Formats: sequence, structure tokens, C-alpha cells
Amino acid sequence: MTILTGKAEARRRLQPDRSGVLRKIWEHRSDYAYVLPAIAVMLIVIAYPIYYTIELSFFNTPPGLQLRDKIFVGFDNYVAILTSPVFWRVTSNTLIWTIGSTFISFVLGFACALALHRDFLGRGILRAILIIPWVISAVAASYIWKWIYHSDFGIIGAVLVGLGWADRPPNFIDSVSTVLPSLIVVNIWREFPFAMIMMMAGLQTVPDQLLRAAKVDGANAWQRFWHVTFPHLRNVSTVTILLLAVANFNSFIIPWIMTGGGPSNASHIWITHIYELAFGRQRWGVASAYSVLLFLILMSLGYFYVRALTGNERKDGSE
Amino acid sequence: MSAIAETAHRGQARRSMRIDGWRWGGRIFLVFMLLYTALPMVWMLSTSIKSGFAAMQFPPQLWPDQPTLASYQKLLDPQNSVGQDFLRFFWNSLFVSTTTTILSVIVAVPAAYAFSRFTFPGRNFLFFAVLLRNMFPAVIFLVPLFILMRAIGLVNTHGSLVLTYLTFGLPLAIWLLKGFYDNIPVQLEQAARIDGATRFQAFVLIVMPLSAPGIIATAIYSFIGAWNEYIYAYTFLSKNEQLTLPVGIQRFFSENTTDFPGLMAASFMMSVPVVVLFLVLQRYFVRALTEGAVKH
Repeated sequence: MTILTGKAEARRRLQPDRSGVLRKIWEHRSDYAYVLPAIAVMLIVIAYPIYYTIELSFFNTPPGLQLRDKIFVGFDNYVAILTSPVFWRVTSNTLIWTIGSTFISFVLGFACALALHRDFLGRGILRAILIIPWVISAVAASYIWKWIYHSDFGIIGAVLVGLGWADRPPNFIDSVSTVLPSLIVVNIWREFPFAMIMMMAGLQTVPDQLLRAAKVDGANAWQRFWHVTFPHLRNVSTVTILLLAVANFNSFIIPWIMTGGGPSNASHIWITHIYELAFGRQRWGVASAYSVLLFLILMSLGYFYVRALTGNERKDGSE
Repeated sequence: MSAIAETAHRGQARRSMRIDGWRWGGRIFLVFMLLYTALPMVWMLSTSIKSGFAAMQFPPQLWPDQPTLASYQKLLDPQNSVGQDFLRFFWNSLFVSTTTTILSVIVAVPAAYAFSRFTFPGRNFLFFAVLLRNMFPAVIFLVPLFILMRAIGLVNTHGSLVLTYLTFGLPLAIWLLKGFYDNIPVQLEQAARIDGATRFQAFVLIVMPLSAPGIIATAIYSFIGAWNEYIYAYTFLSKNEQLTLPVGIQRFFSENTTDFPGLMAASFMMSVPVVVLFLVLQRYFVRALTEGAVKH
């Protein structure tokens, strides 16, 4: 199931199966020295927080994080979440945000990768420019776009008015109906380059002979793409889409800085809502319960994620 | 003969027209994407060289008649308070990001090597845990880490940031580096072992130099991640003199929300180091990022 290097595999073969787990661990004691520092850091800053979040989700804590005064409330926090109308609002926002951003970023990034696949003058520069939004800070991106959407001095509003398509500049991010799509446009701006990079790397692995053979057999450009290129990129597409979906689901900076979740929760997604519950309203227990639910959702997504990531290893593994 | 040749010729013409259609479609699409990508950045630059008055004109000018570097001068001037703050935020970001990068590389290099080469019990579970961490948002860890940092007295110190930045820096570094080690032939180490090197010596003398591009890429990735990090810094730090850039410029302009040229100049200055770093070293970087996902 795993990649086994030649030496490691030989060692495994030499080892009789009857050896106990402890003995095996002891035999590999020097291997652990390499991973120990990493594991130690991860235990402190990852395992402990997860445990603590689960514990806190069953308690009510007074504001100010006075943890000595916390009261056990069982599943009350979870019930409170699932019966709150805000929960459904925020959940539908999260779905629209995650699916919309992921799908459009992937399609745009893939299309860019295809268009940039053939060499032409200025390709390198064009590619570099297209990647930049992904590298610059999300905070800077949020301010740039906030300025672009500005209801008095924003450039988009000014262009719309100039063309006579609007009487006055629209309130892109101050209006309930347009805020979420407007933020998704910003998010896609930052994310499509990632899909582009991944798909460009994937395209390089599509064998030329296959494409030429298809051409000789009379397949047109679309057929070559659909029957040769695309199936070949299934693996990298899956990984890219999953990574994008997880990143979008976990977004914080763009909605938080641009709108703070407003107006009237129209741009609150799970993550910003949890943050506001914890550090804004100091409802640590409810925020922790939310985090546990989030954790469960991500764990199930994680199953597919790890399978997609290690799937290609399995293929050239020992089986 | 002529009829057949004509048909073939016409067929070819039609086919090349169709191919041209694809090519032109691709070009138009690329121009559209270029505008979508570049216009916001041009707008940031152009606003940053406007005077406060010019930024508030309607209709706005795409490029100002009288460009001015006043906003940049203000940010870089250690004599006035805005410049003092900005330069301090800049150094704080640099310090935190560099420290995080060095620590992640030191811890991740041996761990990634072990995950790539050894088959110790628990290896799969541990690697699974490492991969899984990449999926969890900072927010989940925020409350407990805040409590933890408060308990060990690291709230309001850069140490709290470095330690928490390792939570996302390490798993990513391990994953990226493992991809590199997987591609280095194990025979090279075996040859060194036959020549009498210990396993550790083979690792340090043979594998590490070969994986230098991977280490560089991983370091850039950690650096950019730490440089752009916002939520932990926003939560853990409260004193003005400790803030990093992303949080700093927010504090800065929340008092004066009309200074858009200043805000755009600060956004630009904040982006320059990472964009330059990325563009110079993008070859390594892109390779590291895609290594694991596209190999087959």
C-alpha cells in the first residue's frame, strides 16, 4: 500500500511476521529520531488544541475566558447551533461561496493552462502576471478590491455610470443581494492562478505521441482534449479541486476584511461566523461546538483528500 | 483527380479554420484574464501615486495627471509617526517570517526524509495526520492556542506567532519535501553506504545537497505563508509596536479610511517582497508545489 524503497522493502522481507509491535518499534528507534521534532511540535500545537476544542464545546464559559467558571452543559451548544436561523443562512452562504469559487477558479485556471500550453512570444511574462494575485497577501487584495468596489469612488461603478448602464455607482458590497457574488469575484481573482499552475504541470505529463496519434486518426481539437488530455489529467484535477475546495471552505481574510460578514450576515461564512462568536461575542462554548462540527466535515473531506494525494503512490507501489 | 484533391483541400482548409478558431478563442480568453488579473493591480499602483484629492475625483482617472510619490515618502520616512509604524511592522513581518522559515526547514527536512525512506510502525498514520493538518483552518485552533499562549506567557510576543505558524508551515514543508526525496534515487545513498558512510552521513552529504532546490522552494513557501498570515497575528498581538504588516496596515487605516493612496501604497509595499521572491525563484517553487500531485 505504500511506497517501499528498495532497501526498506528488503528489510521488511527479512523480518519475520511474528515479531511484536513493540519489537518492531524498537528496531526502528533510530527512524523516529528524524520525525520526533516534527511530531513534538504537532502534538503541542495541533493535537492539544483539537482535544481542548472538543472539551470546551460541552461547556458554557463566561466572557473573558474565565475558564475556572465554566459550566458543563452537555450538548446544549450543539442544539443551539442547529436550531438557530443564522446557522442555515451561514451554511448556505458557505456552500455558495465554496462551490462557486472552486468551480469557477478551476475552470478559469484550467482554461489558462490550456491557452498557455503552446509556446508563443511573451508566454513567460504573461504567465508570471497571471500568477501574481495568488502570491500577494489576501489582506492587500481585500483592500484593493474594496477600493475598486467603493460606492462613491470605485472604478467599476464609475465605468458603469460612464457607459450609461447605471444612474449611480452600485453598492456592490453594501447590498445583501450583491455582496456574496462580489466577494467570490475577489476570491477567484486570488485562486485561479493556483489551478493554473497545477494544471500546467499536469499538461506537461500528457504524452505527445498520444495526441499525435489521435490527430492522425482524425480527432479534432475538442475530441483530442476530451478523449486524451482530460482523462489523463483526472488525478491532478481531483487534487486541485479538493485543495481549492478546502481552501475556500476555510477562507477568512477576504470576507472578514471586506465586509466583516455583513450586511446582515449576507457574507458570513462558517469560518468568519465562528471567529465572531468566539472573539467578538465571547461565546467560546458555541464557537468550539461549531469548530467540532467543522472538524467532522473536514475529516470526511480529508478522507478523499488523502486518498487522492496518496492514490498515485499506490499505483507504483509494491503491488 | 482534381475533384478528390479539391475535397481534400477544402477539408484541410476547414480543419485549419477550426484550429484557428480555437487559437483565437484562446487568445481572446487570455486577454480577458490578463485584464481581470492586471487591472486591479494597475488600479492599486495608480491610486498609490495620486494625491488624496485626486483619488476622490469623479470620474476617476485611470492614470493621474500629476503623479506623486508622497504616500511612499510618508510610509518610508522614519521621522514621522506613520513611517515609524510602517517600518516597524515591516521589520516585525520580516523577523517573524524568517524565523518561522528557518525553524520549519530544520524540523521538516529530517521528517520528510524519514517519511520518504523509512517504513517504521505508525508511518502511514503519522503522514496521514500531517496531510490532514493542511485542511484545518486557523480558526479551529485559535481559541485553544490563545489559551495555551496565555498560559505559557507568549501572548503579545512574536514567539506565539512563530510557534503557531509552524502549525501550517510544517505539514506543508513535510509534504513538499517528501515529494522531492521520493524523486531522488535511493541507489545514490546505497552507493555511499557501500563506501562506508552511515545512514545519517548519506542523508546529510548526498541527499541534502541534491534536494537543495526543494529546500529553497519549501523555504519560500513558508516565508510567503508567514508573511501573509493574518488571523493569528490579529488575535495574538495587541500592542502597536509588535504588529506584523497585514494587521498593522489594517490598524493604521481603520482610523483614517479616506487615505486610499496611503492604503494602496502600503498594500503595494507589502506585496513587493513576496512577489519579487516568488518571481525570481518560481521555477523551484512551481516544481515543488506540483511534484506530488502530477507524478504517476
